[in-house]
Amino acid sequence: MTTAFVQTRQPRGLVLAWAMLVGLTRRSPTFVLGTAIVLVFAALAALAPWLTDYRPTQTFPDHVLSGPSAQFWFGTDGNGMDVFSRVIHGSQYAFGIAIPALLLMMVIGVPAGLIAGYRGGAIDDLLLRTFDVLRAFPTIVLALAVVAATGQSIVIVVLVIGFLEAPIFARIVRSEVLALRSSELVEAAVAVGNSTWRVMLVHVLPNSIRGATAQMAIRMAWAIRVSTTLAFIGVGIQAPAPEWGVMIRQGAEYINSGEWWIATFPGVALVGLVLGLNLFGDGAQDLLDPKHSDSR
Amino acid sequence: MTVLQFVARRLALTIPLLLGIIFITFMLIRIGGQDAVGMLTSPLASKQEVDAIRASLGLDRPLLEQFAIYIGNVLQGDLGNSWQSKQPVLGEILRRLPASIELLFLSIILGAAIGIPIGLRAAMRPNGLFDQVSRFVSLIGFSVPTYWMALMALFVFYLGLRWTPPPMGRISIAAFPPKPVTGSYFLDSLFAGDWSAASSAGHYLILPVAVFSLIVAAPIIKQTRAIAIEILNSDYVRLARLYGFRPQTIRRLTLRNAFTPIATYIGSELATLLAAVSLVELVFSWGGLGQWGLNAILFGDFAAVQGYVLTLAIFATTIYLLVDVAVLVLEPRSAISK
Repeated sequence: MTTAFVQTRQPRGLVLAWAMLVGLTRRSPTFVLGTAIVLVFAALAALAPWLTDYRPTQTFPDHVLSGPSAQFWFGTDGNGMDVFSRVIHGSQYAFGIAIPALLLMMVIGVPAGLIAGYRGGAIDDLLLRTFDVLRAFPTIVLALAVVAATGQSIVIVVLVIGFLEAPIFARIVRSEVLALRSSELVEAAVAVGNSTWRVMLVHVLPNSIRGATAQMAIRMAWAIRVSTTLAFIGVGIQAPAPEWGVMIRQGAEYINSGEWWIATFPGVALVGLVLGLNLFGDGAQDLLDPKHSDSR
Repeated sequence: MTVLQFVARRLALTIPLLLGIIFITFMLIRIGGQDAVGMLTSPLASKQEVDAIRASLGLDRPLLEQFAIYIGNVLQGDLGNSWQSKQPVLGEILRRLPASIELLFLSIILGAAIGIPIGLRAAMRPNGLFDQVSRFVSLIGFSVPTYWMALMALFVFYLGLRWTPPPMGRISIAAFPPKPVTGSYFLDSLFAGDWSAASSAGHYLILPVAVFSLIVAAPIIKQTRAIAIEILNSDYVRLARLYGFRPQTIRRLTLRNAFTPIATYIGSELATLLAAVSLVELVFSWGGLGQWGLNAILFGDFAAVQGYVLTLAIFATTIYLLVDVAVLVLEPRSAISK
């Protein structure tokens, strides 16, 4: 009897994992699809050197502008560089910009929203006014102007995206903190003698972070879109860096003469990753934040 | 609160906002490392010559003083001269604005015509098949970069199928541009009765408008769906259902009540879209405000960049004001909650 029991135990974990996956797929198919896409791109970024035969900036002078072939799967660009290798390595740039930008947004935005919401007063006013300015104005133009003026480096791109998007996190956290401030939970925490900082960090913060976590993937998608748009316009990251926006910019010159592969493949990769992150974020919003789900 | 009082109060709030935006751009482009004087002068110019040019442009004075002078000039309608074209910035902006507005408004009308019916239909049965598909399609619309879509459309419809004219401006080089009245080549040729020019301008509009309207439609689908679902779950719709009104009547009731929030949403997106349209202009060499603004940013043309940013800011705040006034007139009860 006991041996039979032990034997059924082994597959049980797998069955359970499978059942959970099926359940999750049923609850939010977009979340599962999005996760799968993002994981594929993360794997591409991590394994890029082993997946490609050539370095992304290696030139082949004899194969300039040659179309997709067995040797160069996605063809070569105007410099004779392998488009396949450049597209795969491009995912490193995408994550390399999106992850630090997201961290910066949260490091600035979450505390600002927490303090503004809990303390109110001048900080709250300042935050609301900043948000008004950013809402009234297309931030991409501001990002362009700043990056163009302050230097063409990847660090500046990350800083600008992080700072411009931080108020969004601040506003989400702030609104949840405001709702929580007058709740019995906080009242009780104050009544038993916790210090203000302790109430904010231990009682308010963990209960007001959900909306912000649900936004993370969507903000990452946005960061990738902005950085590639900047590069496409010619600001920020410059050729020959294997960045998708740079590659689409290079390919745009050739599209009217029929060399379509240079701009097409990096664009497909860009759409794939951004769509994956958006699907992931959309699903995460449904799962984490059922209150805000519009299907109810 | 009367409409006039409302407008006056909003205008008073708008002025510090505009000043803030001008101040931020002004300081940011000057603090940055880019030295436009270096681009203006020959590499062989001596230090004294460079300093003389700097002084003649007023760039040797303290930043705050430069800012005060700039604001004073702006109030007199002088936005300075572009360093690239040597022309007054205001004239350049006014000449190019109609081309961008034409592209923007046509795309928004088409985008709303696509997006609103899809959003409403999706809201009728949330999480149904139509809803799932439309949600996925609108997420794709969110994820495709405008410029890449424009490039792909060009490749397919111009290079491949030869259905559309080349991406070289707003009218065929063989056609004579009409006398400017509205600034839209298409409308102006129609007014002038020049059918061949109108047809040429119309053909040049098709592809950029088609591309941008799809970009515009994606967020409209999402917003319309959310707004319609909220209305369908409201007490008054539930009451109407309880009374046994026909589905058509309920649909009409929903549309009637969804109209204002949808219009407000589209209005609030206009400024962002005016900035986004610049990418379409860039790919199609449209020659509008956006393409000019991007170019100014790339070349560090200070006066032009500030003029572009200021135009966008004024456009944004004006649209916000118009939308709010329209809502106030259409639904006076919204004033109570403000």
